[in-house]
Amino acid sequence: MVNLKVDDITDKEIENEESEPELEPESESEDGEEKPSTEPSKDAIYNSEALLEKLEDIAWPKKIDWTQKLTINHQQAEKIDVNDDLARELAFYTQALDSTRVALSKFEKLGMPFLRPQDYYAEMVKSDSHMLKIKDKLLFEKKKIEEAEERRKMRENKKIAKQVQAEKLREREKRKKDEIESVKKWRKQREREGFVKGEKGNEVFGFEDGEDEVYDKVRKKRPGVAPGDRSGGKNKGKSKARERRDSKFGFGGRKALKKQNTAETTNDFRGFNKGEMGGNKKRKRF
Amino acid sequence: MGKGKKRKQAEALQAAAAAKKAQSSAPIRPARTLTGWRDAEEGMEAEAEAQVPFRNREKVLVTCSRRINFRYRHLMLNLVSLLPHSKKDSKVESKETKAATLNDLIDLRSCSSCLFFECRKAKDLYLWMVKSPGGPSVKFLVNAVHTMEELKLTGNHLKGSRPLLSFSTNFDDSPHWKLLKEMFTQIFGTPKEHRKSKPFHDHVFVFSIVDDHVWFRNYQISVPHNETDKIDKGGLDKMTLIEVGPRFCLNPIKIFGGSFGGPTLYENPFYVSPNQIRALEKKKKASKYVTKVKAKTRRKIHEMENALVPDEFADLWKED
Repeated sequence: MVNLKVDDITDKEIENEESEPELEPESESEDGEEKPSTEPSKDAIYNSEALLEKLEDIAWPKKIDWTQKLTINHQQAEKIDVNDDLARELAFYTQALDSTRVALSKFEKLGMPFLRPQDYYAEMVKSDSHMLKIKDKLLFEKKKIEEAEERRKMRENKKIAKQVQAEKLREREKRKKDEIESVKKWRKQREREGFVKGEKGNEVFGFEDGEDEVYDKVRKKRPGVAPGDRSGGKNKGKSKARERRDSKFGFGGRKALKKQNTAETTNDFRGFNKGEMGGNKKRKRF
Repeated sequence: MGKGKKRKQAEALQAAAAAKKAQSSAPIRPARTLTGWRDAEEGMEAEAEAQVPFRNREKVLVTCSRRINFRYRHLMLNLVSLLPHSKKDSKVESKETKAATLNDLIDLRSCSSCLFFECRKAKDLYLWMVKSPGGPSVKFLVNAVHTMEELKLTGNHLKGSRPLLSFSTNFDDSPHWKLLKEMFTQIFGTPKEHRKSKPFHDHVFVFSIVDDHVWFRNYQISVPHNETDKIDKGGLDKMTLIEVGPRFCLNPIKIFGGSFGGPTLYENPFYVSPNQIRALEKKKKASKYVTKVKAKTRRKIHEMENALVPDEFADLWKED
């Protein structure tokens, strides 16, 4: 065991009664590691008489105004654990808050101004540029938190969306299967009944009443490939500007197709000049 | 003002001498005030006060030693900006005759107290809080330093406004805490009609004793208000405190009777110097290897003393 050495042991009066209450083992909050010995040095000097004498020497006269000193005493709550940062800071904060309340009420009674008016501009203890830095940091932290929240929400939504999507797909498959089954059944039924003819001599089909929304919806969402398209379904479609330029400046493949005699090209009058301004204006234009 | 100081010193010496002669059985001693002697009668006191109203003429000299760390230098500069009644001086050479140099310096700058930041080994900061001529002096070890430049301390207040000082009641428990409280009040409190002081009170200093250390905090008071001397009914509840900084924790080491020296009045029994702590840590680490070596030799001796019985089946699988 290593004993603590006292630097100068000048023999003054040692008041043991005063030093007794100090002898609680203290936890060194500086390093947080084992102290060499838990007993404090017993021969620490404590000269309370001289201390009080010195206090009298330096003290200000007792009857001066409170406004000269501005001190407030605050009763501390129970034992504060030094190592628990949050509790300690909270204790300091409450001490400050209570003291300020007391002080403010005193000021109000004295009728003295104590709060800074909004238009009082003076030098502050931290410069404006420093406060800007602080503001930036605060905004940055806020943004970080918000982004984290958003990301979490996205993740949740994705999970849910995935589930919903899976459900939808399953439902669609089921419907498809059902419909195919129903067609097969209908065909079998027709076979069995020997292909009965309905009115007007047409075969009766079950799907002309417009109950086939699924088919229509699918057609609408995925427009089929144009008959003249030789790309094999890989072209996604071009913007109008692109198409205009293609048609104007020539673009081998597509233009060649235009020479075909299909339904589209028969009704295509783009090449013919519509509004010839040089002609007779009295004639009607279509 | 110099004459006043000399008079104080002389009177203090007189008083001390008188007290010593009279031993402990001298309860009635003419009490000293800043303005003169006060006897037990109240009349004299009132007269004295009426003649010279109390005026706080405190001036604090703030200096540091050479080879001070950047963090501690910023702490010192922060304190200079917090105390408008302070005067900053250039670095002081440490080593011998420190006390004499500093006392002379305080006298030269006509200050009544001093905050001296002594940095040792660029790691440990000691703060001397001294009341000049003949006043007591305290040496602290400073821990847990956070300066005002830290971005987490977001508050701000007027430079030079007078602070409210909040002490926890355990400052009244023992004489040495009482002395420290008085010294804090005088040094950290801005004098009332000081030239550089600003009129409003928008920050509060908090001194509290936790675990035999003095913790210092500085908060800005923010209250939604419209008038300067009244708060609305709900205003007090909406008051918030924002920390401005700096923050530090003081561990009192010794209190001396004179300035920068003199008879030791108080020693902290729990104080362990940082050097000792570091030395102990090193010893602990060194002892690991030593104990290992010792354990090895012990094992060897043990084995030699209790020889093993030769195993029957040792050569069972040995091939020839």
